[in-house]
This record gives sequence, C-alpha cells and structure tokens, in this order.
Amino acid sequence: MGVFEFMVGRKKPTPGELAKERLKVVLVHDRLKLNPELLEAIKKELVSVVSRRLEIDEDQMQVSLAHEGGTDSLRTNVPIKRQKVKFEWDPPSHTPSSELRGKIHVEEGNE
Amino acid sequence: MDSRVITITSGKGGVGKTTTTANLGTALAMEGKKVALIDGDIGLRNLDAVLGLENRIVYDLVDVVEGQCRLRQALIKDKRLPELYLLPAAQTRDKNAVNSIQMEQLCQQLRQEFDFVVIDSPAGIEQGFRNAIVGADEIIIVANPEMASVRDADRIIGLVEAAGKPEPRLILNRLRAEMIRRGDMMDVADVLEVLGIDLLGIVPEDEAIIVATNKGEPAVYEKRSRAGRAFLNAALRIIGQEVPLNELEESSTFLERLRRLVGFGPAPLEKRIRSQSS
Repeated sequence: MGVFEFMVGRKKPTPGELAKERLKVVLVHDRLKLNPELLEAIKKELVSVVSRRLEIDEDQMQVSLAHEGGTDSLRTNVPIKRQKVKFEWDPPSHTPSSELRGKIHVEEGNE
Repeated sequence: MDSRVITITSGKGGVGKTTTTANLGTALAMEGKKVALIDGDIGLRNLDAVLGLENRIVYDLVDVVEGQCRLRQALIKDKRLPELYLLPAAQTRDKNAVNSIQMEQLCQQLRQEFDFVVIDSPAGIEQGFRNAIVGADEIIIVANPEMASVRDADRIIGLVEAAGKPEPRLILNRLRAEMIRRGDMMDVADVLEVLGIDLLGIVPEDEAIIVATNKGEPAVYEKRSRAGRAFLNAALRIIGQEVPLNELEESSTFLERLRRLVGFGPAPLEKRIRSQSS
C-alpha cells in the first residue's frame, strides 16, 4: 500500500506502515545521493523542455522519486493547460507555418 | 584452511552489535568450533565485559599490532569454553592506532588457528569500520526495526558492496511481537523488503539480555531466554544447519496459534518471507 493511498484517506497508516513508507522514500534519496535542490533542477529542466511543445501548469507539476517492484524511478506529473501547438498548415503547399513554435523537420527525397 | 572471518556491523550504535558478537561467538564455541572474538572498537572496549572477561586483560589488539606482545599472549581464554578466545580492544589508544593492512594481517594470522574469527565492528563508517571489514569473508548486519537503524544498515550494505565483499546477511534485533501485532512497529517482512538482503536471524526484545550482560554471561547459555535461543539458531544457520525462522512465532498467543491451526490466522512469518523473496 503506497503512501498516496493513505493521503487519499482510504486508510490511516499504522506507525509501522508509516515508518516503512518514510524509509522507502528516504532510502531512494540516500542511494542516489539526490537532494531537493537537484530534484528542483531536474524539474526546471523538464519544464523548459516540455513547455516548448505544451503549455503546462508549472505550479502543479510534481517531480518525485518512487521505489516499487525493486526498482527506483523518477515520477513526474505534468498537468497540461491547453494545447499550444496548432497545426496551421499553409495551404495548399503543406509547408509548415513559420509561426509554428515547434519545429517540424520534414525529410525529403530519401525514399 | 576453511576458517571463516565474520564481521558484525551496523552503522548505527546501540543496536546490539556487541551482544550479537558475544552470543554468536559463544554459540559457535558451544557447537564445538574454535572461535576467536575481536573487539574492533578501539578506545571503547566493551566485548570483554559482556563476556565477563574484563578482569583478565593484560595485552590488547594495539599491543599485538605494534609488536609489544605475541598474538597468543593477548588472546584471553573464556571462563567456560576452552575453545573460545577474546582479543580485547585497547582502552587508552585513539581509534586510528591500527590501519587496514595491519588488521588484514591479524585476520590472516588468526585464520591459522581458528575455525571462526568474529569481529565486533565499532559504530560509524570511519576507519574503525573499514578495519573491521577489510579481512572479513562475510558480513553480518545487525539492525533494529526502526528508521534510523534500517537507514544506516542500508548505507552499510552499500559500503560493503563497494569494498568488494559479498552481500551481507541481516540479524534483526530487538523485535517486539506485541508492537508488530498492533502495527506499531515494522515487521520483519517490511525491513527485508526495504533492505533487500537475506535474513540470518530474528531476535526478540528480551530482558534476559540485560541480566546476562550484568552477569557477564552471554544469553545463549540461558535456555529460557528467547533472545538467547534466537542467537543460538542464528549461529546454527552460520554453520549451515537449516533452522526455521520462527523466533517470533513462539511468542504468539494461544488464541492465534489456534486460529492458525484452523487456518484463519495470518500466514507464519517464514512463509511470508519466502513468498516475498521469490
């Protein structure tokens, strides 16, 4: 049972379960020598990459570490505000509009 | 020679390293093995007192390493068991009086004469800890089922691995069955899941340990002590005997045993551990 299930209020954890969940989190950090600043830096970089394509809600974004099934993983939750990229093709030539924020590279003549 | 050098360590202090060393060593000697115990905690000598040998110390580990005496002169023979010896720690010296090379040589020397060399590591991860593991074939980590201890144990597992030693085994010490039942303490399975190493023993909290230390006689002599029996079982596992991990089961109430018998209670601990590791 994960710590988030407790947060949702499904069941109050016993002190023993709480210790285990807290330990799991602290050990992932210890093992990877990850500190909150580094995690914040990763978050900023992710924001800069993802926001090139999508408008995201930076305040609601979560970056955390999880340990499940014997492996450590970086877990991110990136809420999207709305679609930023509009595919406004320049009819009828089908060349991408110069206003398009994301660059789309079209390979030609390689067939 | 197929002698084995085993280091007892923990990272955190006060979890029962010295008690474990004294009890495992005594139990191995009771099983007919020739055993040398080394107190690796230079400056904070304690293993001698747990074994009741504090009045017999003439020379110590630092004297041996510095060549002030022969190894044989520093080894103190146990009161009861003729095949059990202690090499005490120096009390007056600073903890950096011995280096890793000297310690490794000392282990090699002891291997010639003993079946088992059991080293009581100091707490921490400094030179004393490094000295304690440098000559070891096997590492046993002692932990209590609480956050600080398990966290430090995890750190030690990493350091042991970095030192090129085989994966350590765990003795989970000072378990309180009643608290676990209420959910107030982490279970054996919880700690194993977090640490991911093999279990060598489960030792319940037991007042008999304090009584035994007061008398200077390890609890393994006391057949009625549950901790003593648990340490004996762990020693038997060290020498390759299959002893079921049921140390906590013994403490379950009559009603629970009855429920299990009928098939409604929780699965026995051993089964839960097995199913988890598979």
